[in-house]
Parts: sequence; C-alpha cells; structure tokens
Amino acid sequence: MAVAAGLGPEAEELVLLEKSLGLTKGNKYGVQGERKSPVLQINNGPSLTGLATIATHLVKQAKKEQLLGKTAEEKAVVQQWLEYRVTQIALPCTKEDTRVILKDLNLYLEDKVYLARNNFTLADILMYYGLHHIIIDLTVQEKEKYLNVSRWFNHIQHYPGIRQHLSSIIFMKNRLFTNA
Amino acid sequence: MGFGNLRSAAGLRLLNDFLADKSYIEGYVPSQADIAVFEAVATPPPADLFHALRWYNHIKSYEKQKASLPGVKKALGKYGPADVEDTTGAATDSKDDDDIDLFGSDEEEESEESKRLREERLAQYESKKSKKPALVAKSSILLDVKPWDDETDMAKLEECVRSIQADGLVWGSSKLVPVGYGIKKLQIQCVVEDDKVGTDLLEERITAFEDFVQSMDVAAFNKI
Repeated sequence: MAVAAGLGPEAEELVLLEKSLGLTKGNKYGVQGERKSPVLQINNGPSLTGLATIATHLVKQAKKEQLLGKTAEEKAVVQQWLEYRVTQIALPCTKEDTRVILKDLNLYLEDKVYLARNNFTLADILMYYGLHHIIIDLTVQEKEKYLNVSRWFNHIQHYPGIRQHLSSIIFMKNRLFTNA
Repeated sequence: MGFGNLRSAAGLRLLNDFLADKSYIEGYVPSQADIAVFEAVATPPPADLFHALRWYNHIKSYEKQKASLPGVKKALGKYGPADVEDTTGAATDSKDDDDIDLFGSDEEEESEESKRLREERLAQYESKKSKKPALVAKSSILLDVKPWDDETDMAKLEECVRSIQADGLVWGSSKLVPVGYGIKKLQIQCVVEDDKVGTDLLEERITAFEDFVQSMDVAAFNKI
C-alpha cells in the first residue's frame, strides 16, 4: 500500500480496517508524536487522533455499528479492548510484555469465542491486526501453550475480509506439548 | 468420526478436546453441524470441560437463528475427530432414522428408546472388541541348522530337531542345502505362536544337540 508507506504501523492497520469494512474511498492519514499516532482530517471538521478513535469513526462511516457492540455491556467490553489494544500492545514489545499479554488473553478467551463473548466486533479486528506480528513469531510450542489465543486468532484470520495481505498463520494441534 | 455418546462423560470429554482449538464443529462459522451436535448434548457441559462449555454457550446464542444457519445436518457420527470410531451408527438397523432429529421436538419420547438402543450397541461393540485380541499372532520361521562336518548323519540331525516339542510350535517341511565340501545344512520351516515360542528358545533347544549341531541361524522370519 503506497499510502501506508512511511506511516506508523497503526495507520497501516487503519488502511486494512477500511478495506475490511468495505470502505473504498481510502482516507489519507498523517502521523503525530513520537509514537506515530495516526491522525485523520475530516472534511470541514476537526481532526481525529489515535487508533481507537479513528477506528470507531470508520465503523460508523461504514454503517456497521454492530461491530461496536449491540448491548451496552458489549459496547463497554469493546471499548475496553480497544483501550487495551492501544495501551498494551504497542510497538516495541519486550519478550516479557508479550508473555504477559498472551497469558492474560489466553485466560480471558478460555470461555469466549470472540472478545465480546458471542459477537464479532471491532475489538477482534484490531486485536488481530495488533497481535499479528507477535503471533507470527511464536513457536509451535508457544502456540500450543496459548491454545485459547491460537483458537481465537485462527478463527479471526478466517473471518471473511479480515486477513487481506497479512500472512495466514498456521496452527496445528499435535499434542506434543500438552501441559494441561 | 463422532463423539460417541454425548450424554456420557467420555463423549463430552472427546467434544471438549476437539473444541480446544476450534470455535465451531466445522469451519469458521456456526452451521448446522453445530446445531446437530448441540442438540445431542442437550444440557450444558460441566464447568471443568470449559472448551465444550464455551462452545455450548456460544451456539446457544444462535438459538433463534438456528434454522437459517448454513449447511445441511448430517448424522451425528459424521462430525468430530477423525481418529475416533463412530459408535452412534455402528449397528445400523431399521431404527437408524431415529438419530435424525428433523424438528427437534420429539426429543422426549425417543430418549428412552434411544437410550436403550445406544446401550445395546455399546454392549455389542464392547463384546466385539473383547473378541478381537483372541486372534493370536503367529510367525513362520525358516531355520538354518549347520552340522559339524560331512560325516554328520543329517537324517539323525533332522530327527533330533523334529523331536523338539513345545506348545505353539509346529514343524514344517525341510530340505538339505549343500554348502560346500560335501557338507549340507538342514533348512527347516516351522510355525510358532509369538507369545509362546521365541527364536531364543528354538536356538537353545536345537544347539543342545551338540553332537550333531554346530550352529543355528534364523534364515527368514515372517509374521503371518
């Protein structure tokens, strides 16, 4: 994507999100600050800053409000995960950070299919994009260890229109490293 | 394929293991496959089988739209891990149609009947399984028995070898094969039951006739 070249990883994510939402127009993003937070200038309006803010805006623009959660509870969970995504999964992550993130997520996903339990939401999309570079470096043993994360990730990457040009990560269940 | 009896603990455990790395029974979207298995499970799995419970709760959330989910329902035995034998349809008979629950309403009345049927099938399957190991493993062995020299009485040697008797040992045909300098070796066939007779035992017994036998080798060993 030529537009995304030179932008921060979060702006690239937003380009991916636009496509998966079916927005064809293609917004232009700027970056701001040390962390290269994306900035979106809206026609005749104020500019939006930050991954979660712009992502929410895009979802509304695409008229797919259900991705923000249907019930009040779901909406809250989605917002919570967007916040987690922006604050916790930011580049660069140390090995220790990754371990903690995966451990927490693994525990959280044990009894859930999607982050907001039974519905696919924006939280799943952005967490998938954010975790892709982490999951891709995991060993087979680690994927097995964070089984719930693997299952969720594999599920999301097969969700139509989400993965796009990102590489498909292979998960296999070989039960070599069962630690249950 | 299949999870066995989904109302038993073992069946649920199979389902639980199967769902550990999957969100749905088939593919990546909820389908009739999930509904079929969901209806067979009937009650929420216990909390320690959290993969099965997660899936159960998730499918439950589709309850209202279950008719519109994609796919075609298949017999229950067609789902699940490939390496598990299908017991749900094992003894297929005229009652087979009972397994397909078309409207999901006759659940109550058939449960008693199907329970009995399932138990019958399980018993049948068990008995079939227990009979199987009765098939004993046998091997056909070709032995080379070498005499000391050309003066050894080969007829006497063969007689000695054949005199060896053991449970599960049957001697077969034999012939004399020339090795050189007028010396012949005895090649003799025998069939043994693997559990009862080993080559070690044969070697020990044959070389015991040390007046005739110089050495003994196993020329060929085939499982039957």
